[in-house]
Amino acid sequence: MTLPTIKALAISEQVTVVPRKRWFHHAKGRQAALINVALILGSITMLVPFLWMVLTSLKSPAELAQFPPTFFPQEWMFSNYAATLDAAPFGLYFRNSFVIATTHTLITVVLGSMAGYALARIYFKGREAIFLAFIAMLMIPTYTKIVPQFLLVKFMPLFGGNDILGQGGSGWLDTWWALIIPGGLSASAIFLFRQFYLSLPKDLEEAARIDGLGEFRIFAQIYTPLIKPAIATVGLLTFQESWNNFLWPLLVTTSSDLRVIQVGLAVFQQLDNTQWQYLMAGTTMATVPMVVLFIFAQKYFIQGFTNAGIK
Amino acid sequence: MTTTERHPIRSAEAAAKQGSPSTAPKKRKRISTAEKKRRRAGWLMITPSVIHVGLWTLIPVIATFYLSFTDYGIFEAPKWIWFDNYVEMFNDAVFMQSIGNTIWYTFWTVPVSMAVAVVVAVLLNQGLKLQKFYRTAFFLPQVTATVAIAMVWLWIFNPQYGLLNAMLETIGIPGQAWLVDPQWALPSVILVGAWQGIGIKMLIYIAALQNIDESLYEAASLDGASSIRKFFSITVPMLKPATFFVFIISIIGAFQVFDQIYVLTDGGPANVTTMMTYEVYRSAFQEFRMGMASAQSVVLFAFLLFVTLISRRVTKEED
Amino acid sequence: MEVKSRMRRTASVAMVALLGLGLAACSAGEADTDLNPDEVSGEISLLTPIFEGSPGQDLLEDELLPQFYEEYPNVTVNVDYTTYGNLNEKLTTAVVSGLVPDVMLMGVGWIEAFADKGVLADLGELGLSEDTLKESYTDEIVEAGMWDGNVYAVPIMLDTRFGVARMDILKEAGYDSPPSSWEELIEIAEATTVRSSNGSLERAGFDMMSLDARQAFETILFSAGGELFNDDATAPAFNSDEGVAALGLMADLVNKYEVEDIGFTSTDDIVNPLINGRAAMGIAHNNLWTQALEADETVLDNLEPFVIQGEASGMFFGGTLATVANNSKNPEAARALLEFLSSPDAALAANEQRGNVPALTELLDSDYVQSNRFVQFAMENLDVAQREGGPSQWLEVRGDFAPAVQGALLGQKTPQEALDDLAALVQTAIDR
Repeated sequence: MTLPTIKALAISEQVTVVPRKRWFHHAKGRQAALINVALILGSITMLVPFLWMVLTSLKSPAELAQFPPTFFPQEWMFSNYAATLDAAPFGLYFRNSFVIATTHTLITVVLGSMAGYALARIYFKGREAIFLAFIAMLMIPTYTKIVPQFLLVKFMPLFGGNDILGQGGSGWLDTWWALIIPGGLSASAIFLFRQFYLSLPKDLEEAARIDGLGEFRIFAQIYTPLIKPAIATVGLLTFQESWNNFLWPLLVTTSSDLRVIQVGLAVFQQLDNTQWQYLMAGTTMATVPMVVLFIFAQKYFIQGFTNAGIK
Repeated sequence: MTTTERHPIRSAEAAAKQGSPSTAPKKRKRISTAEKKRRRAGWLMITPSVIHVGLWTLIPVIATFYLSFTDYGIFEAPKWIWFDNYVEMFNDAVFMQSIGNTIWYTFWTVPVSMAVAVVVAVLLNQGLKLQKFYRTAFFLPQVTATVAIAMVWLWIFNPQYGLLNAMLETIGIPGQAWLVDPQWALPSVILVGAWQGIGIKMLIYIAALQNIDESLYEAASLDGASSIRKFFSITVPMLKPATFFVFIISIIGAFQVFDQIYVLTDGGPANVTTMMTYEVYRSAFQEFRMGMASAQSVVLFAFLLFVTLISRRVTKEED
Repeated sequence: MEVKSRMRRTASVAMVALLGLGLAACSAGEADTDLNPDEVSGEISLLTPIFEGSPGQDLLEDELLPQFYEEYPNVTVNVDYTTYGNLNEKLTTAVVSGLVPDVMLMGVGWIEAFADKGVLADLGELGLSEDTLKESYTDEIVEAGMWDGNVYAVPIMLDTRFGVARMDILKEAGYDSPPSSWEELIEIAEATTVRSSNGSLERAGFDMMSLDARQAFETILFSAGGELFNDDATAPAFNSDEGVAALGLMADLVNKYEVEDIGFTSTDDIVNPLINGRAAMGIAHNNLWTQALEADETVLDNLEPFVIQGEASGMFFGGTLATVANNSKNPEAARALLEFLSSPDAALAANEQRGNVPALTELLDSDYVQSNRFVQFAMENLDVAQREGGPSQWLEVRGDFAPAVQGALLGQKTPQEALDDLAALVQTAIDR
């Protein structure tokens, strides 16, 4: 088999399974209705807190003070959103968060998938140890790692006025480097990619090898297209984590030009006084891009591969 | 219909096994040139990640181990004190309590949210009409910043006007002062943890379900297997790699629970909801005792490593 | 001398006005350590947990700092904004990496540790003495910025906590004034507590749950005449008879007189129960006034502040102070900024923006203070206000107070046991 044939095979299978027979469809209509009811109840449980957040963001301080609290706003204060945007340079923060989250996602998907593939499908010495070490890296809490990480950034040689030994300047502090590089890749993404590459069958790989395809082409052209759902998952989770990150961007930057959206939201939580309506409005606005991204990413959650025809 | 020559479910299990990673070529004396090239490619692929993780995570982890044997109050250089931090920690009733709380929290949140997530993921992979809406709804708690979500839970748990008590009272169950009653505070925190953890696990399971061969279900249907049977004989084994990931990541996440505690209870009332990571945070940034925080982290690390190695043994994932 | 000191404090105002007239040298005669603005130069950094958000940033960068630059044209200030919630993380990484900001604004209770470890500059060496400060501030407030007999910090704003009564509710129950003793407090609280037929609390007579358990205890402790630590801050004193009586009062209010249930309100509640009438009295922060102004102006007339009176007067203050880093490369510029930020104009603007209490005694007469009854009340009573802190390990141990207080309120321990256990913990930390 040549590469085009293998690809065609993989693609044709995606196409041929389109009139998919879901095993669930055999279930009776009443069962399906029950399941829908359960899912609707579950969705409500998931949505009610979010709904409460949105409704709170539309109330006046006077209404928030009422007891017992109202559910729907008596007066819909859409002006809260304008006031929220005035409370901090959210446009700038939004842009910064977006740049950081996008770069993190790209780095993670590219490096993480390569590493995950190697760990799953290529045997080499020390593979097992590296894999376990990656998992072990996740086991020390952020709060303990953050100070050494800060020092690594500060003593980065030859940056920010530092000499070759990292002395004398401020290194990567208050630069985009500090915001983008350290958080660019997480071991959990590598782990997830590995698990997905593991679940793919060997047939294609062997066929491709017989045809003399190099390992990088097998990775990039044969297997990776089959794990689009995993790429979407890792991408979403990385983006989301980066988007909601607060402490690291606050610590490594000093100028407000480099601050991010969560730092902007912290403005509403002053000591002894939280401005709930603005905090909720800001959080709602910060959540919307993530929801849009999720809805968009769903189209990649399609059947990646079936090995029905290969025998 | 009973067993046939090619039992569909058995072939499903065989297919599940097929997915195991390429193992070492059986003790050949010489490694072929092709094999050497492969290994080199493997190393090339993994090197950038090894460098990144080695620099930004391994060094801090090594620093943590080193500092755990020191008295390091941030103002002066670390002073080597052998096991003093560990001795003090194990005599500290609050830290001991936090270990118990953390284990209890993990014990309840991980299995519950994993079970719910896998069932929801399967249901949301059937092409239901409202599928996209359901998926978004279940994922929503994951994307919203915890602070805002925690505030909403404060409202739900409020003893006077909270949603939970209102609902319980309609069915005749007396309400509770959830977050401030020492009996109920930890279960309440666990509930929030399980609720919030469903989304991410569901997402991973949905992604993993896309890799299951449809024909396995079709063959099983022809064989007359029930939906439940197919779930346990095909879906569950085929989701094994994903489950291993979800399990390990959830255990790690649960052992490191912090945000909810920080906003919901501050470890109270009277320390009944304090967790290991919360104590680590307090040691590091409230008490400025980095050495102690590191020692506490090492204990956390030891717990997690133990659980991971055990679960790897049990799942025998690598044959 | 007093005139001079006032002049000093108002120097920056005068400076701005007079600079254009070429009279910039007017401050030169004050003390020999004083700075010649033109000779002071350099780039300095400022770490601040206040002035956050666009309004704060605008105030600092568009109004205040231009005034400062007019006076000190050769100084550049780089501002690093943070919040109190993450101040410790910022300070920790700063100290560990050696990149300590030249001027740091931090809270009462932080000074002891940072001064003891040599992070902060002794302001005496920069020309600010205890005596001159005490002419402009009450003694206790100056002492909040001192360690080991030296001045390390100058106060800018205060956060105070005191008793607040809803006079409409008290009058309904037949009381014309807030309580003037613990006995009266208990009596009025009992009379104003409302429970529904099934026993669930509808209105607390005295609310202590909407502020941090530690600060509630401290306020009552001060009213009992108790102290947190002994005079040289080498041993805890809060488990004295006064301390036990204070925690005993809190426990009794909950368990014996049942004027409030645990969990009735919390520090995270959207609104303080005094505003919507869910409490008749309580311990509150001075910003309750600003909150009420936003939520329900009509309630303002009914909110009456009072000092909690026991054996002594109980009022609590924390606040924000300005410090200079010991290793600052431009100590003169840093000192100039510190003086500017704590000067009447700048301090007043910062306080007004946050609805807080100015530390400077002379600002009592300002329009802002006169327009905010709680801030005015706080300033008028600053002579009885006390702060938390004491030993250099204060930040280490303060987190242990809330669980101990909660333990006593929940009846898990007697007040004596709870405080003795806490004292043992605190003593270990001090001796470590």
